[in-house]
Amino acid sequence: MKILAAVVAVVVLGAAQVRAHHSFAAEYDSKKPVTLTGSVTKVEWLNPHVRFYADVKDETGTVHNWEFELGSGTSLVRQGWTRTSLKPTDVIKVDGYLARDGSRLVNAVSVSTADGKKLFAGSSFEGAPKQ
Amino acid sequence: MRTVIGCLAVSLLLTASVSAQWITVKLPRTPRTADGKPNLTAPAPRTADGKPDLSGIWRRVASNKKDNDDGNFNLLDWMPDGAQIRMKPEAEALYLHRRNVLKGGGRPSQECLPHSIPDSMLPGVMFKIVQTPDETIILFEEFNHFRQIFTDGRSLPVEPQPAWWGYSIGRWDGTSFVVTTSGFNDRSWLDDTGHPHGEALKTTERFRRIDFGHMEMQVTVQDPEMYLAPFTATVRFDLQPDTELLENICENEKDSDHIVGK
Repeated sequence: MKILAAVVAVVVLGAAQVRAHHSFAAEYDSKKPVTLTGSVTKVEWLNPHVRFYADVKDETGTVHNWEFELGSGTSLVRQGWTRTSLKPTDVIKVDGYLARDGSRLVNAVSVSTADGKKLFAGSSFEGAPKQ
Repeated sequence: MRTVIGCLAVSLLLTASVSAQWITVKLPRTPRTADGKPNLTAPAPRTADGKPDLSGIWRRVASNKKDNDDGNFNLLDWMPDGAQIRMKPEAEALYLHRRNVLKGGGRPSQECLPHSIPDSMLPGVMFKIVQTPDETIILFEEFNHFRQIFTDGRSLPVEPQPAWWGYSIGRWDGTSFVVTTSGFNDRSWLDDTGHPHGEALKTTERFRRIDFGHMEMQVTVQDPEMYLAPFTATVRFDLQPDTELLENICENEKDSDHIVGK
């Protein structure tokens, strides 16, 4: 229970420390939450946002490469993560919001590894809806 | 082989340690309580000439008010209940389009351009004030942007080249540092929701360090081209103790292509 409380605290802290370089609502749809599981293919540990890409199977078994946006590299470093926290071939589950333009792009609110460990907490936007 | 592995391990440990020391560094001039924690309610420090010293890393206190559900900060969030920003019709039309149709999309910071004044202090971006006798410098962590506020007695330029941050001069009024800025271009937004301004914009910021860990700024916006009356917002800041700014270069901007309704 203490561990759960700690995870929740990190989510809140993460959300409070992020930046607002662009509008969440102009790019993502808060009415379209999504959960995807896939294998990481590439990580861009950069500003203004850390991004990673993962191969995700759709319901027909076809694999598509999705793009996931996180907070800024700076804010994630302040949360204690490093550029090796997430690596190609890692299997991850992402909760986030779909892009409004219909592309395979997600604003990631939380990222968990296959064993349930939460890697990234907090959306890339202070004003993003909380899950 | 063992030596190589050992060196590698030490190297990795050092790397982690150096990184951590940058984010968490015990600054020698920070007053502390008996248990060694920063004493954020200690008196505000003073410079050698007796002026309050605003130097430090700051971050604004989030408002408990919210103009919109799109996550876009609005100057109204830092104004008294019932306060209004009275716009001329053209300004209001542009504002409402940015707020309700674009939902904050298209703002300059989206393309890594400056948030400018006063918007740069609203989104919770850490900034460092460096106060010297002849100028005060504000370093913004986001995109490594900066402002210069001259206190050497110079006047504002008469025919300025329009600039994102304008031209700032400062003076002391008792314990308040009063910063006047003009000479803006008309491209920045006053807030992330989209209050516009023209080149006639003039801002007056009054900074007051309440104690070691807290600061308040009142900003008055005047722009007779866009607004029917000046208006004032009050923003509070918390000192971010025992840390340093990190490099934040906007080198991988990929959002603009996905913004809807540009």
